[in-house]
Amino acid sequence: MLARNLRLLAVLAALLGGGALLAGGELRLPGDHSGFSPTQPIAFSHRLHAGEMGIDCRYCHAGAEQSRHAGIPEASVCMNCHATVTARRDLVVAEQAAATRDGREPRTVVAPELRKLYRALGLDDERQRDPALAPQPIEWVRIHQLPDFVYFDHRPHVLGGVACESCHGPVQAMDRVRQQHHLSMGWCIDCHRSRVPTVLPFAAAPEPATGLPAGHPATVSIDCATCHF
Amino acid sequence: MTGARHDRPWRSPAEFAGTLPMHDPNEAIRDEWLGFPDALAATSRRSFLKLAGFGALAATAACSRAPIEKAIPLLIRPESIVPGKSYWIATTCGGCSAGCGVLARCRDGRPQKLEGHPGHPIGRGGLCAAGQAELLSLHDRERLATPLESGRATDLATVDAAISGELAALRAGAGRVRVLTATETSPSARAAIARFLAGFKDGRHVEWDADSRSAALAAHAATHGLRALPRLRLDGARSIVAIDDDFLGAGVSPVEHTAGRRAARDPAARERFARHVQLESRMTLTGSRADRRVKLAPWEIGAVASALATSLAARAGVPPPAALPPAAEPVERPLAAELLAEVERLAGELWEARGAAVVLCGCNDLATQKLVNSANELLGAYGTTLDLHSPSRQRNGDDAALARLRQELAEGAVDLLLVAGCDPVADLPDGEALAESLKRVPLLIACSTHVDATTALARFALPLPHALEAWDDIEAVSGVVSFRQPIDPPLLAARSLRRTLASWSGDARDDRELVAASYSALVAERGAAASAATFEQALAAGFVELPRAGAAPVARFDRAAAAVVVAPPPADGRLGLLLHRKVAFPLPRHAQNPWLQELPDPVSKVVWDNYAALAPSTAARLGIATGDVVRIEAEPSGAAVELPALVQPGQHGAVVAVALGYGRRGTERFARAGPKWLEGRPTTGANGRVGVAVESLLADVDGCLRGDIRSVKVTRTGRRHELACTQDHHSLSVPEHLAPEGGATRDAVQSVSLVALVERGGHARVAHAGSSDAGHDGAQESAADAELWSDDHSGEGPRWGMAIDLAACTGCSACVVGCQAENNVPVVGRDEVRRHREMSWIRIDRYWQGDPEAPTAHHQPMMCQQCGHAPCETVCPVLATVHSSDGLNQQVYNRCVGTRYCANNCPYKVRRFNWFDYPRDAAHANLALNPDVTVRSRGVMEKCSFCVQRILAAKLDARADGRPLADGDVQPACQQSCPAQAIVFGDLRDPDSRVSRLAGHGRAYSVLEELNVRPAVRYLADVRDPGEVRDA
Repeated sequence: MLARNLRLLAVLAALLGGGALLAGGELRLPGDHSGFSPTQPIAFSHRLHAGEMGIDCRYCHAGAEQSRHAGIPEASVCMNCHATVTARRDLVVAEQAAATRDGREPRTVVAPELRKLYRALGLDDERQRDPALAPQPIEWVRIHQLPDFVYFDHRPHVLGGVACESCHGPVQAMDRVRQQHHLSMGWCIDCHRSRVPTVLPFAAAPEPATGLPAGHPATVSIDCATCHF
Repeated sequence: MTGARHDRPWRSPAEFAGTLPMHDPNEAIRDEWLGFPDALAATSRRSFLKLAGFGALAATAACSRAPIEKAIPLLIRPESIVPGKSYWIATTCGGCSAGCGVLARCRDGRPQKLEGHPGHPIGRGGLCAAGQAELLSLHDRERLATPLESGRATDLATVDAAISGELAALRAGAGRVRVLTATETSPSARAAIARFLAGFKDGRHVEWDADSRSAALAAHAATHGLRALPRLRLDGARSIVAIDDDFLGAGVSPVEHTAGRRAARDPAARERFARHVQLESRMTLTGSRADRRVKLAPWEIGAVASALATSLAARAGVPPPAALPPAAEPVERPLAAELLAEVERLAGELWEARGAAVVLCGCNDLATQKLVNSANELLGAYGTTLDLHSPSRQRNGDDAALARLRQELAEGAVDLLLVAGCDPVADLPDGEALAESLKRVPLLIACSTHVDATTALARFALPLPHALEAWDDIEAVSGVVSFRQPIDPPLLAARSLRRTLASWSGDARDDRELVAASYSALVAERGAAASAATFEQALAAGFVELPRAGAAPVARFDRAAAAVVVAPPPADGRLGLLLHRKVAFPLPRHAQNPWLQELPDPVSKVVWDNYAALAPSTAARLGIATGDVVRIEAEPSGAAVELPALVQPGQHGAVVAVALGYGRRGTERFARAGPKWLEGRPTTGANGRVGVAVESLLADVDGCLRGDIRSVKVTRTGRRHELACTQDHHSLSVPEHLAPEGGATRDAVQSVSLVALVERGGHARVAHAGSSDAGHDGAQESAADAELWSDDHSGEGPRWGMAIDLAACTGCSACVVGCQAENNVPVVGRDEVRRHREMSWIRIDRYWQGDPEAPTAHHQPMMCQQCGHAPCETVCPVLATVHSSDGLNQQVYNRCVGTRYCANNCPYKVRRFNWFDYPRDAAHANLALNPDVTVRSRGVMEKCSFCVQRILAAKLDARADGRPLADGDVQPACQQSCPAQAIVFGDLRDPDSRVSRLAGHGRAYSVLEELNVRPAVRYLADVRDPGEVRDA
């Protein structure tokens, strides 16, 4: 009887394991969403903006220093540049050359992804308000998501000199953002417990408000109630 | 033990009688198991395993990807808003007409928590339970959302078009137009009403209050020529005598007066300690905190006021006050000799403290109020404790004007009636007759937040905005103008009464412009145009104080006094009926608020019901027990109600007291207030509503609405209705074997008389563990020195602690609702409370002491004591409750598996278990949740966290500013809301912090100190001045 039950259990375990391998190719813990890289409503490239252009993360994610959430930038932040930048430079230059050749006014070249931004704001290609277009907020898909019972606050991390890449990975090299780390509690605690600068310092960060130099040994709490309450 | 019971505190009549098994070791188990011993037997091992198996299966099945969540930013961000960052808006509470200042904590445009405005002259930083609960009222899904025409939804433009034609006809014709509102404290709204009515030949504005002070207003009109209530300034008082006035509980401005009482009672100095004597028939919150409480039947109030005024006149050497009716003739029966002696003693005490003494009276009888005015005049109260120069405008209702209006309505002499913000059909006696005459009004318009009994009759019903969605200016006290600004965007598109009337009068200005215009007019009128703040500055501050105008009114007592209207004492076998308002429901509409319905009454600890309170002796005589349904029949009218009885210690033996404001339309929805499960019972009663309406038993006497003059017959019906009462839940007790050698165990509440305290130089001589008579204050030296933690346990950083002054606490329960709002504490419904499953993290234990017929009461806020040697931590098998480095006892929801060992082992019984995923009423109500605190799910334990989210936020703020955390930076929700400032929170390791100083105070003690659990909460013993040696 016992042997038969054991055999049954072994078969079940093999089935479950095999099924998981076939389906996902790897076994992972529940809640581990590393590698998650969904398609976004606008194909925004962090590689271009943060990598090539070298824009500081906090220019767009301005909440990181003041609030719990780093925040997804409002469309109005995009428009700080994209009110004038409407397409890749080479396309604009080519259109101008073509216009000069044909002896006509150059047309506005609008990149298809930027057109989505303008439409969201209810603007036409000339960035003028088009009454026929209703402004519609952009529904980004959230990538880095912690369970509801975890309180995470960007502010102390950013002010404490922890570089964004420490948790978010090399975003400046990603065209489409991907969750780099599994964001499990053990992974958080490893850093909190080490009390040594395992974190990447902010390259161009000013001195953090704590008055401590970037990359300083972190004195961080590992009390449960630091994150769970 | 039993022999000594009379001088030891007890919680319920059952405990007093010894029928409650307080020291039964199974009690804790019963507390945990449904409150019913049979439930233990009902769950078999087999069914348990079956369910556990399903649970395991569910856990396996749940290993899938979390649902995809969208992150939707704003298109264009307002300059001032950072997503996820809290900001504060100064506004004014709309919970009642008291007008306390409020700071609303908002995030992403939504209000999340209301707190008292520390600088505001009325609330002084406190906010009562009803004020805290306004947050939930805003998110009430049953609020009237669209205008209704004869019950069908329509829109404002249609209503305006339909009404404008009728208004034009009325302006041309007879134009008998009446506007009926509750007390209107907004100058701009008053102006709008006046402008609207000026367009008609016969227009009149009638105000009335469900909690009427009509007689006091009329008395001041007669004696001082000013129809207003004086503003009560208790701060400098030395002697307070209140006759049937619950001024700390269900009064005119309870937060203001609680703060004033606190300021007037400094236990450190006898000459700065105001003695408070309460004369009343039912046990009120105020009476429970009085130094001396005298039972007084409603029919004796007039005679007592008369005797008091006469006695004071004799002491002043003047003839009896002119307002006095000749020698209290109308009283049929002379006062009992001991009552007369008591009055004589009180007069002596008041006279000694003249210039700092005050007599308060809540009786709605004109002659009585005139007598009280003359007593106060003789005592020099006007100008000191009573301020008529900048009077209160918190009540302006005129019962006589209301009676006239009812007469006109009955005669069909009104063409247009506009009812706004009140529900006369539900709140007046003869509501049915009123409803009949309202049906005959050619044009009845009701502005309301809910479809109530009056609104349902109206041809047009217009939604009113919630106070948090409206522009407003509130002058609740003359010279203090507070403002409201709407939280953007409003949940519902409602239009204020001011805006409605302005637009009907052809004024196109919006609310902001109307309020701003009213402010400049007010500033000009008070001659402060040069010095006053601009409108924008005033809005940012939340209030402005304007200089007082004119001279103080002078008292003139004329000879033509009305006779005291006293009902004769009830005949033999009959009882006097006293109808009263509840502390939690200052306005009738609060009955729609589940936080307030589930708030235990500060005195009886009953939730979700009203009841007929009877004195223990009367109940025994009539053979009535708590929970028996009794029939209360008024004589001679025959009007009757049936509702459950409650045995109430301290109640007058000849009086039955019932709370108004129950059985209201709209409370049917609370049938589903609790979790849905097989054995769940609805929260509503047999009538389908919460409680029983008793408004039909009010009486209109000489133009004053009275709830205290009926004589009734009380009989048993034989049916029972189990009241959900928390008074015996979660009781704590000291095991007998821990009593000191030869002594009795120590009580959880300690009190000391003022005289003894002063004699001992501020030491309460509270009993400490291990000694029956310890004058010292060190807990640690007297308790066992056993140390739980090893030497290397962290000794650095803060150790958070709390001190609670029982002498200041009134039991008002503002902290309970404040905690509920801050920490997402669910509402569980009547049935679950009955099963000991209420979820509140802070409760107020109310102890009686002494004779059940005339006990003294103590209120003790009780929350997690954050023990240094926490018994809960050592028994958790999964380390879900552990100690933090700053001394907090942390509860980790995601680790908890729900064994409930911790709750079992908690000596203070402050842990709460989530038996269900409690229904969150609607998506709307979820907007009121605090996003910084986890919403706990079924199967986990929870408890007070000392508002750790606030500690963290304060730490982060300090770190961001590059400064160390200062004392007072962290205020838990309970401390913030407390009108009496009884709670102080801070770092016990910092010797200079306020909490450290209080923890070492001569009155400080710890509850259950003998267990050596090292609680972080210290209580300061209650101080009373019973007055036995006062004359010496």
